[in-house]
Amino acid sequence: MNIAPALVDIVGSRWVKTRPAELLAYDADGLPGYRAMPSIVVLPGSRDEVCAVVRLLAKHKLPFVPRGAGTGLSGGSLADGSIIIGLNRLTKIHRIDAGNRLAHVQPGVVNATLMRALAPHGLFFAPDPSSQAACTIGGNVAENAGGPHCLKYGVTLNHIAALTVCLPSGDLVTLGSSVSEPDGYDLLGLFIGSEGCFGIATDIWVRLLPVPQAVHTLLADFASVNDAARAVSAIIATGVVPAALEMMDQSTIRAVEASIYAAGYPVDAAAVLLAEVDGLAAGLETDVRVLTECCRAAGARSVRVATADADRARLWQGRKKAFGALGRIAPHLVVQDAVVPRTQLPAVLARIHAIGQHHGVNVCNVFHAGDGNLHPNISYDANDADQSARVHAAMQEIMQACIEAGGTITGEHGVGLDKMGYMDELFDDASLAAMCSVREVFDPERRANPGKVVPVHACREWGGKGSR
Amino acid sequence: MTDHITTLVNKVTHAHTHSTPLRIVGGGTWLDAQRPCAGDVLHVGAHRGVVEYTPGDLTITARAGTTLHELNAITAAHGQWLGLDPAAAPNATLGATIATASDGPLAMSLGRVRDQVLGLECVTGTGERIRAGGRVVKNVAGFDLVRLHTGAWGTLGVITEVTMRLRALPEEDKTFVVAADERVSLESFLAPLEAMRIAPLALELVNSAMAQQLGLPQATCLLVRLGGNTERVAAQVQSLRAMGDVTEVAHQPFDMLQRIEQPLDLVAQVSHMPTLVTATWRRVLEQCSLHQLWQPLLRASLSRGMVRVVIPHATHLKMTDANAAALASHLAPPGAHAAWQQLPAGAWSAVPCAVSDALSAGIRDRLDPRHVLNRGLLGETFVEAARDRDGATV
Repeated sequence: MNIAPALVDIVGSRWVKTRPAELLAYDADGLPGYRAMPSIVVLPGSRDEVCAVVRLLAKHKLPFVPRGAGTGLSGGSLADGSIIIGLNRLTKIHRIDAGNRLAHVQPGVVNATLMRALAPHGLFFAPDPSSQAACTIGGNVAENAGGPHCLKYGVTLNHIAALTVCLPSGDLVTLGSSVSEPDGYDLLGLFIGSEGCFGIATDIWVRLLPVPQAVHTLLADFASVNDAARAVSAIIATGVVPAALEMMDQSTIRAVEASIYAAGYPVDAAAVLLAEVDGLAAGLETDVRVLTECCRAAGARSVRVATADADRARLWQGRKKAFGALGRIAPHLVVQDAVVPRTQLPAVLARIHAIGQHHGVNVCNVFHAGDGNLHPNISYDANDADQSARVHAAMQEIMQACIEAGGTITGEHGVGLDKMGYMDELFDDASLAAMCSVREVFDPERRANPGKVVPVHACREWGGKGSR
Repeated sequence: MTDHITTLVNKVTHAHTHSTPLRIVGGGTWLDAQRPCAGDVLHVGAHRGVVEYTPGDLTITARAGTTLHELNAITAAHGQWLGLDPAAAPNATLGATIATASDGPLAMSLGRVRDQVLGLECVTGTGERIRAGGRVVKNVAGFDLVRLHTGAWGTLGVITEVTMRLRALPEEDKTFVVAADERVSLESFLAPLEAMRIAPLALELVNSAMAQQLGLPQATCLLVRLGGNTERVAAQVQSLRAMGDVTEVAHQPFDMLQRIEQPLDLVAQVSHMPTLVTATWRRVLEQCSLHQLWQPLLRASLSRGMVRVVIPHATHLKMTDANAAALASHLAPPGAHAAWQQLPAGAWSAVPCAVSDALSAGIRDRLDPRHVLNRGLLGETFVEAARDRDGATV
């Protein structure tokens, strides 16, 4: 049947996209090499319209894929022949409650837009993914997004007070509370990071933090990656919690310096560390001194400190735009995401380098070193079959190396489509089956973002030993 | 250690097969809150010890029966700490802390329990061993069953092993007290805090009865725990002087706060909007007066809008269950939430069940279909029909 007319009845003809030329904008997200055409894109303009659309799809047992800005890096918002529910029209910031450090927003509000709206109140929302100029708060919730500053401030999970969620049935529920700390199962925590498989958040209450009184940014320059990694360990052990602690290797530095985003990084350095301390002005210079000493003791050739906003912004520009700079090198850029225990960083980085060499691909590392959250990236041409195969093989080995080091396959980008193949290696059958069974409570018909996160073969009937 | 797990799996599987409830007991502290919970005791406290601790990773993996006390001793030797300070007996276990999501004053700066657990292993109500999360500090692989088990009171699985985030101990860790002038209102006393540039590890308002218990001046007091380098601590002390005289307290009142609650006390935690915290505070005091419960011990985590009240056993000896139930129903002002920690056994029925919604009930049905784990502990009702339904599929 053709569901489009019924969707038009709900949202109006302007907000139902069915022509191939219109759908083309929705055939990919930030994961290169994957394209999937949705059958329809529907763009509801209110919570009621979201529910009406979801209820209609429930009635006809049609699958759907919720989508924010489509900046995801794991293929999570790809919809192969199914219906995309785009949340981009839901851009209202309903309320900023400065006294209670809480904001009530719609899911389509762009992360950076919220930050700008909060600035006059002296407040900010902590998660700051590199895509923050485009990504939405709804997407941040779906992916449990992080960013450079989550080393000190935590990820999205730690900053959401409550959600109103439209379940795949079309029913609305509220998870968490915007006015108190409720008892019961932490369904809010369970929902955050569920990648669109549990429903659509239509209202989001985000917790806010006061903008730090002072911020100092350091750039330390190392002749070896190993030295930089040792500096990271030393800093983490001091008790000073940097707001961010980022590492870029030589390939990344050179790509950045050759681009319009040049930040003045030393191009002959094997690695640079970008560290930031913030908070109360008192004692901050002591923190800077502690960090500087850690870097020098680990062998840093130089340590530069920026305190003026303009200087700090320049140092950060290279880091925040590194993906853009890497994107210039070749038609496609695969941004990988994995986490390893922090003491494993030097060994895993060496392993990644060796894997890259073995497959003849250039791996650029730019990542959240303080968290052990790696982003090995490879610029390549996805249309070149041989190159693609080598990149794919290298990425698989890199993931394997991270798992073997006691790490995980994703720290902030999500499993989506891209990482599903590794879930079996990370979790045993019983654990995956438990995840599936929990998903079925939210979505018994598996219609919300089907075929993502947990491989279908893992979804055996959950009954437990006793009943088998 | 695998023996413990095998035994545990066998016991839970047996319980599931026969639909006989089990009451999970670690250190036996929290679950002694007189909550209704039938079943054979399932001892898990012997499953203890550190599984993995690499100080440089700032994470620790330990078996659930390990006590917080042991973990703090082990990590302190490396200049690290767990950052959890729940009100608890010294033999409180890690597993129970996670299962009950019990936190304390440090939560305002270091996060609540849910913010600090990285991974866990458990045995579900059907006897399946499952793992969730991992051993690294950032992880979004799969649905977040770690959060689901944290605070589930063991009703979705018996937690057997937990990985926690650790932190480096701050260079200085000092506690200061500012006593309120009883002639001014609570609001006036606290007003300077709003614009104050401080970032304390913990900040608790305590009433004079609590202050007395803590060996502080007998007045409403603000207890402030400051951490960091010398300059930072000194600057914050200077800021605090806007509120009155600031005195350093050497005898660790925050540690004392953890030990002040006793098994037969009434204990509740009332949370509401932080801007309404003084109203919540007054409401709790009024309700206590109304029930002639004199000298309740109060403390408030101001930035969380949370007031914790302890009514010592000696002051509620004559209280009937009906009166306790009435107090339980009316302690929180409208819109606020009272999370009861300890109540007389006969008064729990007045506390609404927090897991009766369709999603929570559905999840319980999946992970513990016959409600064998801590049956009834969360005030939920178990319909035997569920057993028949499952029984038919055997």
